[in-house]
This record gives sequence, C-alpha cells and structure tokens, in this order.
Amino acid sequence: MRTTIETNETAVFLKKRWRRFILVLSLFAVGAFVFLVLNVALGSVNIPLHDTVKAIFGGHSSQATFDSIIWQIRLPRAFGALLSGAALAVAGLLLQVFFRNPIVDPFILGVSSGATFMVAVAMMGSFLLGATAVSSLTLSAASFIGAILVMLVALTVAGKVRDIITLLVVGLMVGYVVSALSSFLIAFAQSENIHRFVIWTMGSFSGFRWENVWWLAIGGIPLMIGCYLMSKQLNAFLLGENYARSMGVNVRIFRYLVIFLSCTLTAMVTAFAGPVAFIGLAVPHLGRLSLGTSDSRVLIPVAILGGAALTSLCDLMARMLFAPVELPVSATTAIFGAPIVIFFLIRRKTTI
Amino acid sequence: MILNTRNLRVGYGKKTVVADINIEAMRGQFICLLGPNGSGKSTILKTIVRMLSPMGGEVYLSGRNIATLSNMEMAKTTAVVLTESISPGLLTAYDVVLLGRYPYTGFTGNPTVEDNRKVLEALKMVNAENFAQRYFGELSDGEKQKTMLARALAQEPQLIVLDEPTSHLDARHRIEVMLILRQLTQKKNVTVIASLHDIDLVMKACDVAILIKDEGIIACGAPEDVLNEKSVARLYDMDKAAFSSCLGGVELRSNGYGPVFVVAGAGSGARLYRALVKHGFSIITGVLPENDIDFHVAQAVGATMVSEKAYTEVSPGAILQAQKLINEAKAVADAGFPIAPSNKRNIDLLRYASELGKSIYTLRNPEEAVKIYGDDAAKFVYWRNLKQFLENLLKAENLTG
Repeated sequence: MRTTIETNETAVFLKKRWRRFILVLSLFAVGAFVFLVLNVALGSVNIPLHDTVKAIFGGHSSQATFDSIIWQIRLPRAFGALLSGAALAVAGLLLQVFFRNPIVDPFILGVSSGATFMVAVAMMGSFLLGATAVSSLTLSAASFIGAILVMLVALTVAGKVRDIITLLVVGLMVGYVVSALSSFLIAFAQSENIHRFVIWTMGSFSGFRWENVWWLAIGGIPLMIGCYLMSKQLNAFLLGENYARSMGVNVRIFRYLVIFLSCTLTAMVTAFAGPVAFIGLAVPHLGRLSLGTSDSRVLIPVAILGGAALTSLCDLMARMLFAPVELPVSATTAIFGAPIVIFFLIRRKTTI
Repeated sequence: MILNTRNLRVGYGKKTVVADINIEAMRGQFICLLGPNGSGKSTILKTIVRMLSPMGGEVYLSGRNIATLSNMEMAKTTAVVLTESISPGLLTAYDVVLLGRYPYTGFTGNPTVEDNRKVLEALKMVNAENFAQRYFGELSDGEKQKTMLARALAQEPQLIVLDEPTSHLDARHRIEVMLILRQLTQKKNVTVIASLHDIDLVMKACDVAILIKDEGIIACGAPEDVLNEKSVARLYDMDKAAFSSCLGGVELRSNGYGPVFVVAGAGSGARLYRALVKHGFSIITGVLPENDIDFHVAQAVGATMVSEKAYTEVSPGAILQAQKLINEAKAVADAGFPIAPSNKRNIDLLRYASELGKSIYTLRNPEEAVKIYGDDAAKFVYWRNLKQFLENLLKAENLTG
C-alpha cells in the first residue's frame, strides 16, 4: 500500500515539474515571437503591426518601401539576434555545467579575445596596406579564425590536464595574453582607425544580412541540437567529473565535445555580431531559476528560447532607446539582464 | 569472489603510496580499510574503481581485469561514494538519485517507470523518502550522505566503494549509515569496501578489517582477530590513548597530576577514570577482579592497578600491595562501589588511607558512608557530581602546582 502512495506522490511531483517546464517554455517562445515582430515593426520608420505580420508570413505588405525595409534590413537583423541569443545561451550553459561554476560565460576560454585580436590584425593590417575600408566578410572570417585558434589551444590543454579548473585558468591566461597582443596593435594604430574597431568590440547585430543568417542557421542549429543530445552527460557532470566517470561517462570525449560545441557556437556568433556580453552568463541562470531545476534535458530548450527572447529585447532597446543613436548591444544586455538575474537570485535561497 | 587484487601497487605519479596489495572481497562482505591519514586508503579505493591507474599489478572484478572493462560494464557493477562534496545546483535529492540510473537509461536519459521504481526503492533503503523532493543543496550533511548512498544503490552495483562515508556526520547519521551498509551486505548480498576512522564502529559492523600503515598492509582479517591494543597502537602510533578490544573503543591516557588512588568496582570507576584522565590526572586503582568492567577501563586508560583473579575474593596480599600504592597517592577517591563479600577488604583500604591522613573524596552520600565506614566517614569529603568533585580536587590538593 505504502509504495502506491509514494509512487503517486512522485508522479504528482514529476507532473507538476513538467507543467512548469511547458509554461516557461511557452512564455519564452511567445516572448521571442513578440520581440521578433516588434523588432521588425519599430525603427526610424514605424510599420503598422498588421503590415509587419503580413510581410513576415505572406511576403508582402501594403507598401513596397515597407517590404524592402522589412526584408532587406529588419528581418535578417531580427533573426540574427534570435539565433545569436540562442547560441550564446546554450554555449554559456554548457560551460557553466562543465566548469561547475556559475560565473562562467561563453568567452571564458578566451574565444572573444582570439576573435578580437584577429579582427584587430585584419583592420590594422588592411589600413597599413593602404585600404580605406575593410569588408565585413573579411572581419567575420578573421574573427572566426581567431576564435577557432583559441579553441584549438583549449582542446589541446583539455587533453593534457587532469583537473578542469586548470583548464579554466589556462583559458583565462590565454585570454589575457591575446588581449595584451590586441592592445599592442591598438597602441600603434592611428586614432581614426580605432573607432570602428572599438565599436566592433562592443557587439552589434546591425551588420546582419540574409547570408549571415543562413550561415548561423546552418551551422548553429545542428550544433545546438548536438548540445541537447548531450543533456544526459551534462546532468551526470553536475555531480562532478569523478562521479560522472564512475557512472560511465567517457570524460575525455565529453571534454572535447563541450569545448568544441560551445566554442564553435560562440565563434560563429562573434564572427557576425562581435562579442555580445552577458547573454551566455545570464540566460542559463534565468532558465534554471524559472524552471527550478538544473536538469539539462529541460534547461537547454528553455535556454535556447530564453536566449532568443532576451537578445531580441536587448537589440530592440539598443536601437530604440536613444534613436537615432544606436547603443552597443552589450550595454543593453547587461542593463536589462543583470537586474532580472539579481531579482531571481534574491528570491531563491538555494545555491545554484 | 567479486574483487581481488594481485600484487597491486598504488600511488600518484611516480610516488608509491601502498605496495603489495593482495586482497579478496567476497559477495556480501563488509570490508573496511583502517589507517592513519595519508596512509593510502583513498589511493587504494580510487585505484580499485579505476579513478587512478595502478602503478603495478592488477585489479580483477569478477575475475576480469578492470583495465579491460568498458565504462558501462564498470558502472553497472561498481558504484562509489566519494569524500568530495558536490554542488549540483538546483537538483532535488530525487534527481541526484535518479542520476545513478545513468548506465541503464537510454540516449536521452529519460527514466522509465522501472527506473523511477528503482529510485524509490533506493530512497527507501536509506530512509530518504521524506526529503526526496527537497533540493540537494538544502539538505544537512547526513541527509546529503544518505542521498549519495541511495544514488550509489540506484546504480544496482555488486560492489560499493565508499571513501570515509561517516566523516562530517553526527552520531545518529554515522550509525545509520553503518547500519544501512550492514543491511546492504546482508540482504542484497552487495559487497561494501569503505575506508573508516571509527575503530569502534568497524569492530561492530565490519566483516573484514584491513590495516594499512607504512606503504603496506600490516594486518587483514576479521576485526575481532586483527584489532587489539597492540595493532591499533601501532597503526596510529598512539601512546596517549589505547584501544580496548573488550570495550570496543579507544580510551585516552594521561600522565599528569596526582596520582589519585581510586577505589572502585563493578563499573563505578569507569566514568571516574575517564573524567580524571580528561582533566590530566594519572590514576592508581584497586583492588579489582579481572572480570570487572572497571578492570578493562582502567587498563585502557593506562592506570596503575592492583588486580585479583576473576571470581575470587580480594586477598590480603593484594590489599598490602594496594596500601603501598596509597602511600604514593596525593588523594584518594571512593567511587561508590557496591560492597559484597568478595571485595569487602577494599573498605579497609579507605580506612587505611584515612589513618594516613590522606584526603578522601567520596561519591557516596553521607548516610551510606557512615554505615560503611563508621567514624572515619566524618573525615571524608562529599561531592554529589563529578564536575564539583573534580574542580574541588584540583583546588584542594593544588595538584596542578
């Protein structure tokens, strides 16, 4: 008799959790959609909502100018923000579990420093060679290469060290060294060339074209699915590397996969949008706290939609708050993200 | 046989910690490793669960070299409880135990009805059902440890390896954990290998004790056979304390103030000896028959003692010997021992001390003392509880000086 009662209790408890998951997931999904529509509708030219929705789904609105604004400028940028946010949130989540550290973000292994350095090299190099402008394709390529080089360093180290914390410290050190190299370049650069570089380092979705969106979708979506498929191992890793190993996780392969997936996702976003701060740090916390669990099986989908929604909101703010001046997106992510995280954290008493 | 090692040598890097390890673990045995900190208990445990690779020799699990087993094969037979504290974030105790099903769940890790049933069974086995839905981080140390134990059980292992499972736990959880482990071995035929520090619990719960010291195994066998005053003293290099296999525990020793002569018997002396030792006195006691509990406690605390053969009357010869020792004592204490024909000569000891002019402290009440000692009772000092007794003994005799 007792067993039945307990089983029921557990069933109720598991069902309640499932409902919470569906609720949170739907909320973030609705949020992502609403902010997407707003991102398309609002701007220096405001487009009526019904025209916006019509254009997104049907392809044509009431005016040809609206169509071109929506299709050539706003939609690619809005989708870019959605996908970037999702990718950064998942990458941050993976690394937070991996390092068992709540203040880890996707750039912890020095990915952004590598990207920044290569972008600096590309910019300063081009100007030195007499070019007047640098194409965004060159910058994206440079950024991606820089990020991937740093990832390769991390992968090499991951195969050698016993302790994951060592890897974390090595990542930080590599980041510092590469940043220092960037500072050398800046010190020797001419001041007018620095402006664009500085703007790049603060991140922006303004450069997104359809081809960037496709790149990000084709590359990023499979990687995000890959992350989801690792949820079982990620959960085992919540108990630490030794327990994970004792339960049958191949820790070596797991290390490589986590670093590969998170760094590649981050590198792709950084290539098109520059280093967008805070999303990868805050969204996993937001997900955990709103779900009340660290279970990656439910947390990863929530992080994907939450990252998309929050990043869309932040890009909207970045464009609208002081229009026509556009704020760097990293500024709005921090200003809007941090209070939300603090609010949730204060309401909770458990450690995360 | 579930586990055996052949000439196993364990250590870190190039440093050997323990060598020549040849142990055999049978199904359903409760095996414990005893040894001082740093003796290599954890290193051995980590090596047999493949967290460290052996520096030499082999480990066999059900006859197969563990180096050849896959991660999953290993995980289905062996579960661990480690010393490291975990912080799994927002996972409930239930979730943590469910992770133990890792080797059995499918690709996504979604639990089946069967998995949930096994988790509930494991929680029940460690009496953890009532806090299963609370977050792991909110649990007490004892509850956490029980959860980790349930997690290991959910793995359905044939062998559970635990590194110091009772450290940090309060008395209740310490005993509860030992009882759970004991039950596992007896009811589920699971083999338990654990490193422990509580010699008294090892004595009472384990089937095999393995003593580790100076890079080797110094003894291995039933705890009743291998744990005695000598082996324990050697194991821990103890001279300020002694293990008594009869009492099943460790008694502290002291060579300090005094000495104080305690006239005791039938257990009246035990707490007095311990209290005196705790406050730094050295003790002389007698006359005690060898079948008296006070005899064993006195021996363990290292008291100088006059004893008599078991079940015999206290002889005049023994009394004479005791009288000589009373001369040396700075104070004499009457523990309030019960009086019977076999020990009535001990009363004369107190009279003798009184004649010598020694201060006599008694834990009896005055009426009883008058009945027993007659006129001498007037010269005694009476104290109702040990604390008062000790404080005044220290003050009055100025023994500390």
